Amino acid sequence: MGVTCVAQVPVAEGKSLQQTVEILTRKLELLGAEKQGTFCVDCETYHTAASTISSQGQTGKLMYVMHNSEYPLSCFALFENGPCLIADANFDILMVKLKGFFQNAKANKIESRGTRYQYCDFLVKVGTVTMGPSARGISVEVEYCPCVIANDCWNLLMEFMQSFMGNHTPGIPSVFGTKHDSIYSPADTMVQYMELFNKIRKQQQVPVAGIR
Amino acid sequence: MMPVTGGTINMMEYLLQGSVLDQSLESLLHRLRGLCDNMEPETFLDHEMVFLLKGQQASPFVLRARRSMDKSGMPWHLRYLGQPEIGDKNRHALVRNCVDIATSDNLTDFLVEMGFRMDHEFVAKGHMFRKGIMKIVVYKIFRILMPGNTESIEPLSLSYLVELNVVAPAGQDVVSDDMRNFAEQLKPLVHLEKIDPKRLM
Repeated sequence: MGVTCVAQVPVAEGKSLQQTVEILTRKLELLGAEKQGTFCVDCETYHTAASTISSQGQTGKLMYVMHNSEYPLSCFALFENGPCLIADANFDILMVKLKGFFQNAKANKIESRGTRYQYCDFLVKVGTVTMGPSARGISVEVEYCPCVIANDCWNLLMEFMQSFMGNHTPGIPSVFGTKHDSIYSPADTMVQYMELFNKIRKQQQVPVAGIR
Repeated sequence: MMPVTGGTINMMEYLLQGSVLDQSLESLLHRLRGLCDNMEPETFLDHEMVFLLKGQQASPFVLRARRSMDKSGMPWHLRYLGQPEIGDKNRHALVRNCVDIATSDNLTDFLVEMGFRMDHEFVAKGHMFRKGIMKIVVYKIFRILMPGNTESIEPLSLSYLVELNVVAPAGQDVVSDDMRNFAEQLKPLVHLEKIDPKRLM
């Protein structure tokens, strides 16, 4: 996958979440981007069961198991500030077998769903982030497909994002900092989504009806 | 090596095992070449690590992480094997739930982060054959003399382990009949049997 930046866009002043998503997608369409289907990125949270903690003497840890429709046969499992494992879809079955040791915090399941747009060498995904029945925020993922070295194309990515995100353009993602010249990987995108989801979970609920 | 499974929650491994002394290896390989599907002879050199997660349950959770030492670019193979099913005595093979997962190469770091600890490791070197959905492996187990160093290894025994296995959805007991029929054709070179690991402990 090409170098990707995932960012949150705040709900526009005086507008609903749905309307803000429409403003963004309209700007993309005016630029000439073409709709290319939909996408979904989801994240489930597991915590170490109390029984394991007491016998291993370790503190409880949160493990995130994520899926990305761009990689339908894969599953991403990660720890905050820890390794990110890329596995095939059977990893979900393993988590069912491990339910005595890792409990699924079902209420914490969070996902971002929306439309995929292609604009020349860029792939843009604008999604509504939901937790259960309520919409909690907006995510924008921008990928510059031809480049796989993060620091080589950050300026170009930023310039492109400014053309439709204006001053909501984010700063350089923290995962880029550790990359140096190593090849960008889908795991880096999942880490960015995990950080975005964690931030949104901590934010106040959007005080609107959510998706209609 | 594992076929892509459709994500069925209950895939079962049907297994028959036996062994042959080193000096009988060539005749067994010759017989297998004749009986099995025509394909390029396939050898493998794998490093397997067995990890345990201890909880309040009496028995720890076991996971097996396997990587190829001679083929570059292959994913790591993570395997969960359940307890053997106590089926009827007529079932000819050992049957246990299995989950096979291909993973990226940071698997061991990830397992440790989950709380698993490595219990033991070994190197397996041998040959692989297929007949339809059956897989036959003939391999030698090597003990690793210094933890983590797969360069200095020594054979565990003067024999080769022979395994006939099939991974199929639950309930397909006809599989074990086919396996028994195939095993008959390998006698008297090797006697493949249903060996319950618990009886060895």
